Amino acid sequence: MLDIEKMPELLGEFLARQQPAWRNVKVSSYEVMTGGYSRLLARAVVEYDGGTQVLVVRGDPPADRTLIHTDREQEWDVLRMLGQHGIRTPQVHFFDETGEHLQTKALVLDFSESHSFLPYAAAGGSLEGLPSRLAEALASYHAIPIDRLPASLERPESYDAYLTKRIDEWRRTADQHVEDLPILRYMAGWLDAHRPTPVPLTLMHGDFQSANLMITPDGHFEIIDWELASIGDPREDMGYFKAVAQVAPPDLLDDAGCLEMCARYRELTGLSELQVNPAVVAYFLVLGVVGTVRRLVEGGADYARGTNHLMGSVFNLNSVQYGHSMWLSATDALGPVLDQIAAAAKEMS
Amino acid sequence: MLTRPTTEQVLVGIADELRDTVAPEVQSEPVKVLLAQIDQILRSCAIRAAHETAWIHDEADTIAAVTGTDVGWPASLHLDDVASWYDATSRVLSAALDDAFAAGDANRIAELKLLLDARSATEMKIVGALELVGRG
Repeated sequence: MLDIEKMPELLGEFLARQQPAWRNVKVSSYEVMTGGYSRLLARAVVEYDGGTQVLVVRGDPPADRTLIHTDREQEWDVLRMLGQHGIRTPQVHFFDETGEHLQTKALVLDFSESHSFLPYAAAGGSLEGLPSRLAEALASYHAIPIDRLPASLERPESYDAYLTKRIDEWRRTADQHVEDLPILRYMAGWLDAHRPTPVPLTLMHGDFQSANLMITPDGHFEIIDWELASIGDPREDMGYFKAVAQVAPPDLLDDAGCLEMCARYRELTGLSELQVNPAVVAYFLVLGVVGTVRRLVEGGADYARGTNHLMGSVFNLNSVQYGHSMWLSATDALGPVLDQIAAAAKEMS
Repeated sequence: MLTRPTTEQVLVGIADELRDTVAPEVQSEPVKVLLAQIDQILRSCAIRAAHETAWIHDEADTIAAVTGTDVGWPASLHLDDVASWYDATSRVLSAALDDAFAAGDANRIAELKLLLDARSATEMKIVGALELVGRG
């Protein structure tokens, strides 16, 4: 994938080995795709005797161009498992696990004919009913039994241990930065003091945002880019979605949308209103962004130390400062509501 | 030393030239994105150059007053020394926050949070309107 000129030939040879039933395999088109944040992406048209397929090749960039380190083996395991459970995501077919054939570790998947959601929305596509469709997309993979998930995904010891680790990530991020970050320490203390009613841990997408959604011709969401999948609180995906949507509209989880999404999600999962409601989604809006915040802060720290020279790392610190403002406001509005929910949950138990 | 035009004026001038003169000539999408990021960074740098040292001192005074801690003075007014002093002063605030949360002292937490709100308000003066160029 590193040498574009050679890729049609290399991919053709790889596919011929992987799929002996395909005779006279030829890659007639190989185009680099934009939109991949962290991985190399290309669209390939593959012709063989009796058929044509459009595939996507998704591989690791060279080490010096890697923004995020994730595991292709784990992504392969997750994608295959998702396919077995009928989750709406492009089917994965092949994996060059050593990079021997495609110049880097790479997956080969179906090319989705669905529309990318953001351009669809920007072009004025209807948003009616989409909060419910969003709930259905979330519930589809959150419902996969945890014992069916790939062994490579880390299993938290307990819900409390999981949440404690996530909250501590705010403190660790602050501790490891090149200067003290009291707002991050405040957020850790606040999150700890307002722990939500627990729910069963599930598969989490980890980067569930509009940019990773496609919309099918019949109006359902297809989910792409599972490289940050893990096991965690399913509400983190909701909060993360809302966090990104607030700065990159449309926000399907605005006041009315969030109520609709929560109601449909509860209907599908059987969780209670104390567990899934807009206030709890907002709690996870804060908690759920910690992974991204850590990566952005690390990039800024590396720039300050002179170990990277990416202007994007400096630019991304603006997002962190914007986040400060958003999280501090959220704690003012949410604290009393979360206290009321906690009191109600205590009364019921 | 000539101090005028100020650093702020020069940085804003560079940002304006890049936006109005250079950017329209650029065809490459990644370079356009980079220029848009540089535009925002330069404008933030201009505001910091004009006010950073004063804002740091103002905030340190407030942290000292609310925490009852003598935070001292920077070793000099060179920016690196001022930034190191600001880091040490911020640690005083962080420690006070940790103590307040550990004690479950809601009033103290609220009092300290006002300092964070003020810090965030300064940050927003620097950042301005966030535009996530290059996304989506």
